[in-house]
Amino acid sequence: MKIINLSPLVAMLILMSVSSCKKDEPKDPVIPNEEEVITTLHYTLTPNNGGAPVKLTFQDLDGDGGNPPTISKGVLDANTTYLGSLELLNEIESPAKSLTKEIEEEADEHQFFFNTTVKDLSISYADKDANSKPIGLVTSLSTKGRATGKITIILKHEPNKNASGVSDGIIDNAGGETDIEVSFDIEVR
Amino acid sequence: MLVARQILRSVLILRSGRFTVFCFLSFFLSSVSYSQDCNSTIAGFIKDESSGESIPYANVFLKELQKGAISDSLGFFRLESVCPGKYHISISHVGCETKELFLGFTKDTTIEVWLDHNSQLLNDVSIIGQRKKSTTQDRQSLNSDLITQNSNRNLATMLENMTGVSTINNGSGISKPVVHGLYGNRLTILNNGVAQSGQQWGVDHSPEIDPLVANRITVVKGVGALEYQGNSLGSVILVEPKKIRSEPHLHGGTRYFFESNGLGNGINLELQQHHKIIAWRVVGTLKKSGDNNTPDYYLRNTGNEEANVALQLEKLWNKKWFSDLYLSSFNAELGVLRGSHIGNLTDLEEAFTRDVPFYTEDEFSYSIDAPYQKVNHHLLKFHTRYNLSKSHWIDFTYSGQYNLRKEFDVRRSGRSDAPALSLEQFTNFLEGKYTNHLANDLELKTGIQYNRVDNANLPETGVIPLIPDYISNEYGVFGLVTKRIKKVSIEFGGRYDYEQRNVATISNRVPRTIVRHQNDYHNISGVLGFSYDFLKSWNLSYNIGYAARNPEVNELYSKGLHQGVSGIEEGDPNLAQENSLKNTLSLKGKVKGRLFFESLVYYQEINNYIFLNPQDEFRLTIRGAFPVFKYEQTDARLVGFDMAATYKVTEAIEVIGKYSYLHGYDKGNMIPLVYMPANNLYGELNYRLPKWGKFRNVEFQLNYKYVFEQKNLLPSQDFVPAPKAYDLVGAKISIERQWSKLGLKLFIRGENLLNNRYRDYLNRQRYFADDLGFNVIVGINMSF
Repeated sequence: MKIINLSPLVAMLILMSVSSCKKDEPKDPVIPNEEEVITTLHYTLTPNNGGAPVKLTFQDLDGDGGNPPTISKGVLDANTTYLGSLELLNEIESPAKSLTKEIEEEADEHQFFFNTTVKDLSISYADKDANSKPIGLVTSLSTKGRATGKITIILKHEPNKNASGVSDGIIDNAGGETDIEVSFDIEVR
Repeated sequence: MLVARQILRSVLILRSGRFTVFCFLSFFLSSVSYSQDCNSTIAGFIKDESSGESIPYANVFLKELQKGAISDSLGFFRLESVCPGKYHISISHVGCETKELFLGFTKDTTIEVWLDHNSQLLNDVSIIGQRKKSTTQDRQSLNSDLITQNSNRNLATMLENMTGVSTINNGSGISKPVVHGLYGNRLTILNNGVAQSGQQWGVDHSPEIDPLVANRITVVKGVGALEYQGNSLGSVILVEPKKIRSEPHLHGGTRYFFESNGLGNGINLELQQHHKIIAWRVVGTLKKSGDNNTPDYYLRNTGNEEANVALQLEKLWNKKWFSDLYLSSFNAELGVLRGSHIGNLTDLEEAFTRDVPFYTEDEFSYSIDAPYQKVNHHLLKFHTRYNLSKSHWIDFTYSGQYNLRKEFDVRRSGRSDAPALSLEQFTNFLEGKYTNHLANDLELKTGIQYNRVDNANLPETGVIPLIPDYISNEYGVFGLVTKRIKKVSIEFGGRYDYEQRNVATISNRVPRTIVRHQNDYHNISGVLGFSYDFLKSWNLSYNIGYAARNPEVNELYSKGLHQGVSGIEEGDPNLAQENSLKNTLSLKGKVKGRLFFESLVYYQEINNYIFLNPQDEFRLTIRGAFPVFKYEQTDARLVGFDMAATYKVTEAIEVIGKYSYLHGYDKGNMIPLVYMPANNLYGELNYRLPKWGKFRNVEFQLNYKYVFEQKNLLPSQDFVPAPKAYDLVGAKISIERQWSKLGLKLFIRGENLLNNRYRDYLNRQRYFADDLGFNVIVGINMSF
């Protein structure tokens, strides 16, 4: 009689021992399609008066974490004006996918900011979104005398583009989330 | 004089919880021989279920005749000129859960009614030993009255005013409870006796439980988890739904509340019937609130929405077999402050310098946009009990849980519509348990358990997951013995668990590959406790417990950017189990019938305590440099005490004071432990009237809370210093009215009445914004 009463317990024991025999492993997880990741930023500076363009590149092929990124250095000529153009790539995807277009399509929600510690180097916006606010995919960079320092390029998502100073490239009141913040060592000679 | 004596006892007390108060509804009728038609008297005594003390000034109401009485100083009441028949009687008292009885009588009758007193204080002072289950654990509970009056809050924040309990918040909608400094995976939450299984990885994941389904929420502060599988290193929170009332009529109720801060609305409906075929109960809740506000500005995107339902079925097949089924579904959308969504450390540091967070709007809004969380949790529990005899029985329980968590971030190119985190978890649990109440107050309980968790990421995110996929199989056995020898209770037990976990991670280097891991853990836990009743109403309890917690998958394998906390988190696959030894010593008592006090001291050593240690390293990503945090182990020590006292100035006026202190120390690194709740003081002044005009149980309350600054923290342990001390003033008025068919309770409650600006150390939103300002909550509760 008692054995019958204990039948749920017995059934459970059997179930437990059965389940412990086979190896209970998760299926292979689906590796997500990381289409949003920005791995690479190219800042190509083409001298207005002709000559070889200078390409500044930040590249982190496995995204955040993993291996450290590679960052190039830039050598610019003194007293020169360059046309700067930015290109963003996702190189985890194969073939590499350009993300520049995503920024162009949502130009009113994005803005690049350029900060520099190089003496007498200035960068100004040369493009506009639908609201006549700057984006920063195209810029004009001009140098004067010899100097060294850094250029930092910041991409803000959903900044307040109407806040004071923001359309002049002053980041202080912009808010928003930083999607990109990279620095390059620059030498002007 | 006694001719007949009948003991009606609801024997359907079959909740599997070890802490279930046994005599849920028990009273006896005794009839007196001389009586005539419509000239009978119902009289009785009203007592506190847990302490056995008589309850004066309780309201007794015979609904059919609209006849009322109030108990005297001995808890005695009398209803005269009653015709024999069947009647609904409601017995209520401020601070107690209203008891509804349905009984028939033919003669003068004396009844004894045990009320479930709100027992934040003195829950277990035992005077009449039989009434309570002997335990050496310290427990505090909220009854359904207090749950109703706090229905605008979530499970965690409801418990906030208990000593030793705090909350970790992410804004106002997302909170998880902290008991004696432990939270998340170190704290077990039992929903109707089932260990809640959900996504409890971050401090920003709140437990997926609707507290309005419960009629009692209990915090067990000792070492209470021995009977349950899981990882508790100490305390347990029990969320217990109401038993179905043992009477044949359809009953129900509705609760509605409105709160001014966030313009929140909530409605809760309940229906139940103890039908001949089956006893059933259905509860549903709908809640919606919009942007909360601080004293100075709206907190954009802090609204939330909830829709929950629960079904309870109970069936007594025969004297020996009893079964019950519980189904619940919890569904919530929780907004996260827009200004707290940041890209990198520079953004975070900039946020610290701002008085008003970015994205703050002048207009109130109900809309919930990214960032937000969408959480679904469904539970099915089936339990059956077979009584081998009156004193020993077998319980068999199956439970299945499904948890789905999606978190939406602000993303480019319309990707905000796709979650950045999408996890589902299936949990299946089987348990067989044997309980035997032997003669001479000896109780034996033993059981076996099996639990399987299958946790998987859904690939819709386009993001490499922080939490890997895994399947865990856990097997456990336990045994517990309780023995009472006169005034001493002794409790001891042990359990063994084996967990095997198979994990599949995705590499964080390209090309992405799948890396598999296997974890095996053997754990032994034990508990020993003594409880001693002395001087009639004093009790001294000591409890010591040893427990282990297996490292969680995030602690072992997470690798990558945790954007919400602006850091790179790295797990360590070689982490070992945490081992904890916790001691609690509590003293409770009553002085001259006016002063009640309760004090609890605890000392906990946790070896191999796992924590996120900030490294002297910044890692460069395309978003800028991020600080690196690694999961490391150290030896930790938690020491604290909780104190509470109630002083009855008169029968109507009562003063309550509480104090909680906690000191966390990292012995390995000789530094403070982070994320420990700040010490706090709480006081209440209550004025209670049993009757006021046509209203009953009128209560006025003023309360005050003072939270100290968390000074036990080094500047290097946080981005910004801990917030300053703050205080909050609150008030509450509640009244009741009873008609023949309808009971009505009204309350109005105010929070932060002085509209103080403050930030709390355990609220992650403190980096970005102030905490909530002035809030008034109005509620109405009708029952039939």
